[in-house]
Amino acid sequence: MRQPLKLHTSVALSALGVAVFLLAWEALARSGVVPSGLLPSPSAVPAAFVAEVRAGTWQAMVLASLSHYLSGLFLGTVLGIAFGTAAAMWGVWDAAQAWVVRMLRPIPSIAWIPFAIIWFGVSESAATFLIALTVFWINYYASYAAVRGVDKDLIELGYAFGQGGLIPRLFKIVLPGALPGILSGVRAGLGQGWMTVVAAELFGIAGLGSRMSDASGLLATNIVVLYMVTIAALYGVCDFLFMQVQQRVLAWQK
Amino acid sequence: MNAMSVIDLKGVAIGYGPDAPPVLVEVDLSVERGSFVAIVGPSGVGKSTLLRVVAGLHKARGGTVTIHETNKPGHRPVSLVFQDARLLPWRRVAKNVRFGLEGLPIGAAERDERVAAALRLVRLDDYGRRWPYELSGGQRQRVGIARALAVDPDILLMDEPFGALDAITRHSLQDELRRIHRETGKTILFVTHDLEEAVHLADRIIVLGGSPARIVRDVRNDPGREGGVFREQVEQLRTGIADNYSI
Repeated sequence: MRQPLKLHTSVALSALGVAVFLLAWEALARSGVVPSGLLPSPSAVPAAFVAEVRAGTWQAMVLASLSHYLSGLFLGTVLGIAFGTAAAMWGVWDAAQAWVVRMLRPIPSIAWIPFAIIWFGVSESAATFLIALTVFWINYYASYAAVRGVDKDLIELGYAFGQGGLIPRLFKIVLPGALPGILSGVRAGLGQGWMTVVAAELFGIAGLGSRMSDASGLLATNIVVLYMVTIAALYGVCDFLFMQVQQRVLAWQK
Repeated sequence: MNAMSVIDLKGVAIGYGPDAPPVLVEVDLSVERGSFVAIVGPSGVGKSTLLRVVAGLHKARGGTVTIHETNKPGHRPVSLVFQDARLLPWRRVAKNVRFGLEGLPIGAAERDERVAAALRLVRLDDYGRRWPYELSGGQRQRVGIARALAVDPDILLMDEPFGALDAITRHSLQDELRRIHRETGKTILFVTHDLEEAVHLADRIIVLGGSPARIVRDVRNDPGREGGVFREQVEQLRTGIADNYSI
């Protein structure tokens, strides 16, 4: 069985992993094996960052993408949890929507781009719609499984102590009991949401994705890498903050 | 029906499905207010299900179940203690005890006082802020008892509450339960498969047996005795069960 690492060991190993990765990348870029236009070195990225920040482009793109991301994330998460929970709790609703879910679920969000443009135009709403769609399915399935997995004995406990009505059962037993699974879904949605941000913005909506698309058209690969790193950093911050909240909310777990 | 009774069962039959044969039939039982009644019998005889029928969690296939409530405001007529304590892991101890009080027409101050009193009764005064995972098995069971007592029930139903505990903890909690019964005067219906536990605790012992099961013995008992009389009572019950037991 795996031995748990001490915190400082874990942090040091993580830093070492990143350093080795960057050094290997730098060495490959400088070796000339790959043309510099195809693979910029990581050391070229800070200069690109300074230039983009001075022009105000980086800030504008980050804010635009954050706006799409957060609104899509919120909508997809709330609706995914609501529909997943409802399907898990009510057999009639579950049966009624089961085949609709089976038909819609395999369709990737980017396949909805034509409809997003037809319905919303090349607008922020279209990006929000696509991100929400991705996040929705993750949260739907996570919530469905988590609610179905709530200990039936605890539901009976609710009935035994006068908390068997829909509202107390939902808020005092089902949702708290399902919370660890629901939060796992939210966390997975955080990552998938960023992936969809890029895809959604590639068709012209201003943001990190569109800037990467423009830069790649000009073979400015250092700018492409800058925005890739930006997305990774934004995801890292979101995930870290979410983990802090999750640890507090689930303090009752061993 | 007895004028002093708090539970009256008349011709109760219990089964687990509409087509399955009944497991328990012709249960006629009056439980006097303030008494401590143990229900014993072999596994699968329907002891726990009978308790759940009284709690309103399982529908009897036939007969009538009457609970004579005192209709005090801010209480629940029946409350349950489960074998597995069944604490809500996301609530601290005090909030677990408060669970049954939520929804009752009482103010926050009274609710807090009743939670504190219930924790005092089970000697866990200082444990209100702890999470369930921080408790031992015996402490968890005490919290389950406190939660059941906090709603000030007419009847306390206990489903093999000490069955999963080690012998030392079990004996300690049995003594605690006798003290709580003396102090509160609650009616207790206590399911156990342990005859010694029944003889040690209850002033009346109902033996279920046969197939389908029914009440085969209804024994008055003087709880808390030790030595030869205690052993004799246990042996008599054991014989009573064996006479009506077929595998």
